[in-house]
Parts: sequence; C-alpha cells; structure tokens
Amino acid sequence: MHRFLRLSFMLMGLLVASGSYAADTQKPTLTTEDDLGPQVTQPIEFPHYRHAGLKNPDDPTNSDPSKGGMEIDCQYCHTYARRSAVAGIPPLQKCIGCHQNIESVRNKPRIVELFKYWDAKKAIPWKKVHDLPDFVRFNHERHIKRFVEQQNRPTQEACGYCHGDVKSMTVARRSKSLAMGWCASCHEKNHPVTAEGGTPIGNQAYWYKFQKPVVASSDGVVKAQGPNDCWHCHK
Amino acid sequence: MIDSSSIKQLAGHPFDRRDFLKVLGWSGAAVALSGCGNTSIENGKETVVSYVEAADYVIPGVAVYYNSTCAQCDAGCNINGRVREGRVLKLEGNAASAINRGKMCGLGQAGVQHHYNPDRVREPLLRKGDKGETISWDKAYALIAEKLNGVSGEQVAFLSGAVSGHLKVLLGNYLESLGSKNLYVYEAVAPAVQRAANKKAYGTEMPRFNINKAKVVLSFGADFLGSWVSPVHFSQQYAQFRKGVDGQRGVLVQVESKMTLTGANADRWLVVRPGTEGILALGIINALGASGVTLSGDVAAAVQGYDKARVSNDTGVSVEHLDKLVALLKERTPSLVLAGSAAEGYAHGSQNAAAINLLNQVLGNVGKTIEASASVPFPQMIPAKGNTAALKTLNDDLAAGKYKVLFTYATNPVFTAPGSMKFKANLAKAGFKVAFAHYLDETALEADLVLPLDSALEDWGTQVPEYMAEGAQINIQQPLMEKLHANTQGMGDILLTLVKQREADKYKDFADYYGYLRGSLLTIKGALGSGGTDDDTFWDETLTSGIIKLAGSAEQLSGNASAAGLQLPAAAAADAQYSFHLIPSVTAYLRDGRHTNQPWLQESPDPLTTIVWDSWVEIHPKKAAELGIVEGDVLEVSSRTGSIRAQAYLFPGIHPDAISIPLGRGHEALGRYAKGYGVNPFQILDAVFDQETGELALHETRVKISKVGQRIIVVKDEGAAGGKPEQRRIALSKSTDQVKLSEEV
Amino acid sequence: MSVSNLLENWSQFRHFHPVDDKPHDPYKWAMSIDIDACSGCNACSVACYAENNIPVVGKERFQHGQQMHWMRIERYWPDHDFDFPEQGAEFLPMMCQQCEAAPCETVCPVGATNHTADGLNSQIYNRCIGSRYCSANCPFKVRYFNWYDYPTDETVWPAEMNRQLNPDVSVRGKGVMEKCTFCVQRLRAAEVTAKGEGRIVREGEVQTACQQACPTSAISFGNLVDPESRVHKQWQAQQVEMNVDEQEKDKEPGGSHLRGYRILEELRPYPSVMYLERVRESAI
Repeated sequence: MHRFLRLSFMLMGLLVASGSYAADTQKPTLTTEDDLGPQVTQPIEFPHYRHAGLKNPDDPTNSDPSKGGMEIDCQYCHTYARRSAVAGIPPLQKCIGCHQNIESVRNKPRIVELFKYWDAKKAIPWKKVHDLPDFVRFNHERHIKRFVEQQNRPTQEACGYCHGDVKSMTVARRSKSLAMGWCASCHEKNHPVTAEGGTPIGNQAYWYKFQKPVVASSDGVVKAQGPNDCWHCHK
Repeated sequence: MIDSSSIKQLAGHPFDRRDFLKVLGWSGAAVALSGCGNTSIENGKETVVSYVEAADYVIPGVAVYYNSTCAQCDAGCNINGRVREGRVLKLEGNAASAINRGKMCGLGQAGVQHHYNPDRVREPLLRKGDKGETISWDKAYALIAEKLNGVSGEQVAFLSGAVSGHLKVLLGNYLESLGSKNLYVYEAVAPAVQRAANKKAYGTEMPRFNINKAKVVLSFGADFLGSWVSPVHFSQQYAQFRKGVDGQRGVLVQVESKMTLTGANADRWLVVRPGTEGILALGIINALGASGVTLSGDVAAAVQGYDKARVSNDTGVSVEHLDKLVALLKERTPSLVLAGSAAEGYAHGSQNAAAINLLNQVLGNVGKTIEASASVPFPQMIPAKGNTAALKTLNDDLAAGKYKVLFTYATNPVFTAPGSMKFKANLAKAGFKVAFAHYLDETALEADLVLPLDSALEDWGTQVPEYMAEGAQINIQQPLMEKLHANTQGMGDILLTLVKQREADKYKDFADYYGYLRGSLLTIKGALGSGGTDDDTFWDETLTSGIIKLAGSAEQLSGNASAAGLQLPAAAAADAQYSFHLIPSVTAYLRDGRHTNQPWLQESPDPLTTIVWDSWVEIHPKKAAELGIVEGDVLEVSSRTGSIRAQAYLFPGIHPDAISIPLGRGHEALGRYAKGYGVNPFQILDAVFDQETGELALHETRVKISKVGQRIIVVKDEGAAGGKPEQRRIALSKSTDQVKLSEEV
Repeated sequence: MSVSNLLENWSQFRHFHPVDDKPHDPYKWAMSIDIDACSGCNACSVACYAENNIPVVGKERFQHGQQMHWMRIERYWPDHDFDFPEQGAEFLPMMCQQCEAAPCETVCPVGATNHTADGLNSQIYNRCIGSRYCSANCPFKVRYFNWYDYPTDETVWPAEMNRQLNPDVSVRGKGVMEKCTFCVQRLRAAEVTAKGEGRIVREGEVQTACQQACPTSAISFGNLVDPESRVHKQWQAQQVEMNVDEQEKDKEPGGSHLRGYRILEELRPYPSVMYLERVRESAI
C-alpha cells in the first residue's frame, strides 16, 4: 500500500511538470471588457435602430415616427427568448405581420427584398452573430425570467448585458466577448436573490459559487453566484 | 400539448407543414470540439434558418410531441414522438395506451433509424437489365395500368405482410376492382398455429392473457418478454405478476429446448427434448388427475399412459421437477399456461398446442387468466393475419406460372422463405413484379418495378392490433415530420391512385389517402362513440390522442374442453445422419430480419449471448466438448436443404441434441448495416408443415454440424469470464423464503 | 481545477458527499433498479442511444472493446458448475453509478470530471484531454472513450441519420471520455423550470430515458433528499445508507430479508445506484 502511494505521488509529480499547460489555464480570465465582434453582412440589412431605437434621441418629447426609432420592445419580435433556452430568430411571418400594413415603406429596397422572400415562402438565410461554441448551452429563458420578470428591469437593459446596445445598431454586431471568463465575471458579482422576486430554494447558498462558500453578507442577504457546476452550461 | 386549430392546420394542408417545420439550425447537435478556447465560434459564418411561418406552439429549443403508432411490429404500441425544429428525434411510449402504457421496446425505438435510414429507396425504379432506372411516378402508374390491361383477375396476386385498418380496406377494394381474390398475407414469424389452437380451445383466436392475475405462469416456449404477440404489454403484466397477487410473488416456469429471454427470467427453466412439449403437458394433466384434480372422461382417456416415468423419459424432465410443478399448479390458482412458437414449430405443432391449451381447461384458468378479448366492430378493418401457409400456396401458384402481375408489400419472402421452397426461382416466373418497398431488399431486387414508400413516421394510417389489451382500439398513425424524400409516397396514397385507375368515380371525392382516412372515420364517428361531437372536434381529438378507444363487446369464451382428436406422436427418434434439431430462434429485436438495417439493433447485444453484428450457432458446452468444439470455431451446419457457416457459441441454455441459430441476419441486400453480416438460417429450412394448419414447421429441420477448421473471435459484450461473477457481489439473488416482498415500497 | 489546485485541495476533492458543510440540498439524484423486475430486454440501452447521441461503432470496433453503450445489460450465469441454467440468467443493467466519492474524479489531471451540487459525477467534454485515467480508475468500467471522430465518420451518422441527434446533448469528438449522465440535460431543464416557479422539481416530473422506456418499470429515479420521492422511500425501506461502506442490515447474522444493495460498496465509492436483488421461487 505504502509503495503504491509513493508511486502515485511520483506520477503526480510527472503530471505537474508536463501538465503545466493545464495548471496555467486553471481558471478562465475574468473580464468585463467589451470585445467587438466582426461586422456581419446579412441578407437584409435589418435596422435595429429603426425598430428598437428611441423615438428621437435628441428630443425625447418628439414622437415623429419618420425620425428616430419606434422603441419596440426586444421581446415583441424575439418572443422565443423568454420561452426557450435558445432565442431563435423571429419567423418571417412576424416581419410581414406589420409590414403588410405599412404602405409608406413598402417600396424601400430592404422591404422589397423582404417581400421577395415572403412571396417565395423562403426562409431568410440570416447569419449567426452571437455564436457560442457548440458545447456551451446558454439559457435565455432563465435570464429573462430573473432580470425582466422577477426584477422588473427594462428588457433592453437585460438583453443588453450580453448583446450590447442593439438599439443603436443596424444589423446586430457582437459587442461582448461571450467567453467563459466574461460570463463568470458577471456571475461572481453578488446578485441578491432573496430580494423581491427572488427564488431561494433550499439551502443553496454554498452551491451558488464556483468554488468556496460565500459568507452571508452583513445585511443577511444570501448571494447567488450563478451556475455552480460545469454541467450547467456544458453537457 | 397541441391545440386543435394547429392540428387542423397540420392535418388539412400537409404542404403548409413544410414551411413551419423548416429546420432552425441545429448547432447544438454539432460536434463538440475538445479543448478550451473559442475554436468553434465563427461569428457571422453559420446560417440560422428561421421559420417562414410558425404555429404558436412551435418554439425553437422546445420539443413538440405528437401521438402516433409504432410500425416496427404488429403489436400496435402507441407512441409519442419527440419533435424538435421539425425533426423527429425520439420515440417514446404514449402513457394513455392500454397496450404499452408509456413504455417502449428497443425495436420500437429504432423506428427513427428506419425513417432516417440512408439506404431507403428514394425514387421509383424500373428494371433495365440488372440495373434500376429512375422513372417518374406518373410513368410508374401508367406502366402498372398497361401491364394490368387485358389480364384477368386470376392472373394477378398481391403478397402482403400483415395489414389492418383502412389500408386493408383499400387493398381489398383494389383487388376487388381487379377481379382478383389472390391476396396472400404472409408473415415469416407469426403465431398462426396458436391462433388455430386457441380458436378450438377457447373459441377465439387471440384471447386476452392476464399474466398479472396468475400466480403461476407455465410457458411452453412462449417468449412473451421478447418477441411473442405483444411483448411490451406482457412485460408490464410480468412486472405486476412478480410483485404478486396478494403479496405472493408470481412463479414463472418456462419449458423449452432453447432458452429464450423469457426462459432466462424463469424461476425454473426446464429443458425438454425438442418437440415433446405436448407430451409434457399431457403428463402434467395425468399427474394432476392422479393428485385429485377431476378430469372429464375423454381427457382422462387421452392422458392415459402418460405416466410420470414415461413422460420423464420422453421429455427429459426429471420426475422430481414434474412432481414439484404439479404440486405448484395444484396449490396456486389461478395459473396460466401459454403455448409459444417453440412448441408449435413441429409437424405436430397443432397437437402440441392443443395439449397445452387443454392444461388451461383442466386447471380452470379459462375465464380467469384467459379472457375473451374485445374486437373492433368493423370487420373490414380487423387485421389480415399473416402466416406461412399463404406463402406456400403462392409459391405453388408461382411455380405453375399462374401470375402475370405480382405485387409485394411489407414482406421479404426471398429472404424469409425456407430454402426448400425455391421461392426466388419461382418468383422469376411471375410476369411483372411490382415491389412497394422502403429498402432495396432481397425481394425488391427481384422486382421489375420498385415503388418507394414513405416511412411510418411520415405517413398517415390506421392500425388495428391483433392482440387487444383492454377493450378494443383503433390506432392512428400520423406524420411526425415533413417527408424526408420528395419522391416517396405513402402506401395508402399509392393504393388510392391505383384503385382510381379502375374505379375513378367511386373515389373521386378523395384527393388523397389523408382525405380518405378522415372521411371514412367521420362516417363511423357515431359507432366510435363520438356521435355528438362535430367533425372537426372529433378529428382533432382523434389526432391528439392517437388512439380511438372502443368499449369492448362482452364476448364469451366458448372453448372446447375435450381432448377429442388429440393424438400426439411419440418423441421423435434420433436421426443418424442429421443428428441435431435446428432451432431457428426469433430474437426480440431482429425477428424476421426486416429491421436488420437499423444499426441500434445490430449493436444491441443479444441478451443471452451478448453477441453483436453477427450470427452464431448455440451449442451446449458438454456436446461441444464431446465434439471438440470451442467458442469461435466456424461450423458448417448442413440440412437436407442446404448449408450455412457460422461461429460456435457455447451456450448452457440449450438441449444437447439441438443447436440454435438466430433469424434476421445474413442479408445479401437491404442496406449497409445489414448486408454481409451473419447468415440466414431460413435458407436451410426443410419444407415440413404442421399437419393441421399447413404452417411451416420452423423447428422440424434436422442438421449435422462439422468444423471447417477456422476459428474467429466472437464479437460480444460479455467479459473474458464468460459472464461468471467470480465470487464478487454483483448480481445477487435471494429465494422467496428469504424476502418479505409485501413490506417493500 | 488543475493539478496544483487538486493537490492543494486534495482532502476536499476526496471528500465524499454530502458532508455537513455541503449538504445535498435541494437535490440529490439517485436511482434504484429492481433486478427481479428487469427482464434484460435492452430497451433502456436503446433509449440511451437515442437520447444521448451515442455512436454505433460497428463490428470491428466493438471487437476491439470500443463500444460506447453508456447503459449496458450484463448477463451473468451462476458461479457454480451446472449442466443447465435452471434458474435462468441474471441480468444487471450497469451504467455510471454517480459515486459520491468517485474514484474517477480524483485522478483527472485537468478536472474534467467532478462532483455537482445535485450529486452527479459530471463529465465535461470540452475540458477533457483524453488521458483515460478516469476510466482506468473506475471500478464499474462504465466510462467510454472516443477513439475515433465519430461525428465525421460516414458509417456512424451518414447524411440523414444525423438529423436524429438530440440538440440538447453535445456530440462528442475524438479523444474525449464520456459516460452516463443520468440524462443531465433533462434534469437541468426540469431544475430550471422549477426554479422559475420558485419550487423544487416534483417527483415524477423528470425521468431518465432508460427509466422512461423500461417495459417492466424496473428503474426508479428521483431526488433522494425529497421524502416524497419513490427513490427516497425505496432506499429507506431497504435500509441502504449513502455514506457507509457496509450497510448495518448486512451485518445481521444470517443476512437480511431486505434486497437492497450497492455494487462494490466495499471499495468506498458510495454509489448513487441501489440495486434490488433478484428473487427466485423456493418452492420449485
């Protein structure tokens, strides 16, 4: 038995030497830095600023729809996000639902293009902008439930945590790194969950931390710190 | 679940479905690259296809479930298909089903691999010499019409697997329109002898067996946990039976010459000399009589002479076991005695079955554990039951060159006909052969015209199970997804088109088979117990549930408890030249081999031998030692009809005078996962038939074996220890006197 | 978790769960399998292939021992000599036992397999470097290694066959280890739903694929710390304790009339799967 133990320690030593790569990357780099993704060319240059932007950025009281945006809630079109782990892309039918009644822009090039797809009953081959590795499973529904439904934060703010200021963009462009360290940086911030709208279940405090238990803060609020094991996102 | 308006949308306009079932991109299922880093992030490169139109309940990332019916065997389990982004991913059981109650066997689950199979036929093919040439459906239909022109009804035949429901109705109508009565319903592995024996003994071909109500089940080779009649249903009954009636655990005794999956679960597995099952049954009756059970005069006369010593000598079952069994049957009632294919596969199979059924009468089980089953009140939809006698008649007719046009559907006789029939050669004598096929199987390869079929997961249909679990039911089969291949058609649609060629007027109201199905079911809505509901509601509810349940008509069993005509031959004498009985075994997943091209089934180890991807010859270790055979020796197995070669596997669960080779493998066609794996024992079966029913006696072939001098490694799952736990506490057992089952949760 | 991390925190990693400062709360997923009910039919195994994107490796690779069946049925014959197996065969469904002190976890050089809060033994494909130490150290031999790049192998998932793949489960590439996950994708989905509704997952709300398919309902699965769950009741009735290496009831002289046992318990992996012994009639 004793000999066996020594052997295994020797093996361990070997590993420490050869496994330095693993040792170096033991933890993802925590970062909150923005990281701008590449400009993506879409089949139709969808103007997010026109749909979701403020009605008039310079003068909030001016509501002339021909200027500025229309302040449409993200969830009006992106309805799947609150109902599913994946956000999906709105069906073409959604675009047409409104646009068939908006004669004023019917002849604009993008709208003409849009109706070409509709008439042919063809799906628009949108390019993926926020692409995670295939072994990463982000849950949209959970985040919207928490931030929008339970904490009543504005949709654009909640979506913006990961998607950036989409209302100012034409076609969306990735503005956060979406790397694991970036996710973790947010999850290691202390989000009070027993505040109104929270859902404490059991005695979860410990497990809501990547490694060690958090001491309850002085105000007695239990801090939740996001997913507690790798299998939440990688499975 | 699904709301009714969307079902209407689904159902009414099959082509609308294409739009909203568009795949949304399925990156989640793509390769997970190992290692960290953002290696698979390709911003702006991957396309995400969105829906053009989507029903409210279709949400990317959220599965939708549709109810339908399993088509992998005829048991008629109701399934629940999981559909994501327009693709069917998994088949699960429908919990509302009386047959399978939410459960599924492996064969059923592999239905998705039938649907997505890369070897499916995709285009109509017309024979040009040795090759098939793609033609259009219009041309194919025109060709059929042309070939039928001037041909009389007697010169046309249709060979089909078991069919029921509206497909059977349409098939009947089509043949009628051709003036033909030549419908041959052929199933290579079917309980045909049993149906006849049950009809005699109980007055109905397929009564309901209540394994869960029995305290003792004595099964003569009925593999009810594996492949017999309705295995998923019986498996659930079996689980209840083990939990016990009144806290007393049910006892299973299995009598057979080769251990089946059911035998492997028996409390007592009794090996009998092949073919002597009936003798044992009569011996038990005799012993019961001797122990005080009242026997009627003719029964007593029939079993006279079947004393313990003689029976033990004939069957090989020891007197001690016989005594214990008789005591058990006498003490614990009700019991249930089952006759399975292993007892019926002999020239005297019907007699064996009669003797076994008589045992139920003597034990008073009829009416208790054997009850009348309910039937669907529409005779035209009741299943056309397959058997092998039909094939024999067809084969004789083909040999005589009787048929100018032959259709084949859902059966593969070139593969499954016993070699002695020379079916392939006789088939060539038919004038024009049309095969409706999913794969280019052995039979389709002989055809002049091959018409590709939709899979069961993309087609409409109704199915009536032969074995009814509770009340009666009609199963609905509906598409779980958009058609995978543009140029396949549903069998119903094909038959409708064909029948329209003959009687266009009669069917002009039906645009397609879906319309025919809907129309037909609506006309009998009242009889289905939904007279008060409006058409659309009825239809939506029917599709949502996938089952139409009917109150069972309270039939009475009217059996014959007498032993009149029961005449068992003496135990078969040894054959000096062909010294082994060949037991072609029917395995739960491969059956007659029609699904062998589904890789899950090929790689699913045989439960008893754990062998995968190949055939084997089971031989008893003692016999093997006598003959100097070890595992992996390639054996030549020769019958009077032919010979095949396969690896030896030493298997303790077989009579030393028998060897067993599983059916289902040894395809020369069918597809990449089936072709070239294993051997086909159908090829060497002798033409021996049951004397009463004319069924092929599957177990009557005698063979001799010899080593060919080659040894291969048997590809199997069991470890080097050959399945011995070697003193470790792994799979533990207790006997009933050591446990208190009634105290368990 | 790196090697240095592992060495620093050795005692913590070697800890079996739960311990006082890390209770299983609110979930501890566990199973019980009644091998008296199990008929050995393999339906569970096929269900597992369908649910978890398991590659069919083919004859040759199977011969090399490279089969990937996360859920397998082991078939045993009695240990003593016999002419015929008169009490049938013994079938044992075997898959990852989700040990509470898992031997595989401590030997992973990169921390690709570790314990989760809800008592699972996780396997992180993107973390795995393929050392196969875990498999070598697994007493149950239920870990399977990807010797080939099955996703790009035309014989495994040819063109249409890959459309059956479950999008909720990663398809594993060459060089990573994999094993039964207790259908973690289903568990997580149920946990997230429950959390959104401010409750815990109810008994019966989530099933593993094998449990769902099993024609004889031999497999029970659920939350061991939920007193309402069938698994909890079964473990309790069978007097099987999670955190011991020999059950009290087994110390009784003459043995216990209870059927519950855990396989290779004496090696102290503290498995989360309890088996119920097969029963055979004594009167026949």
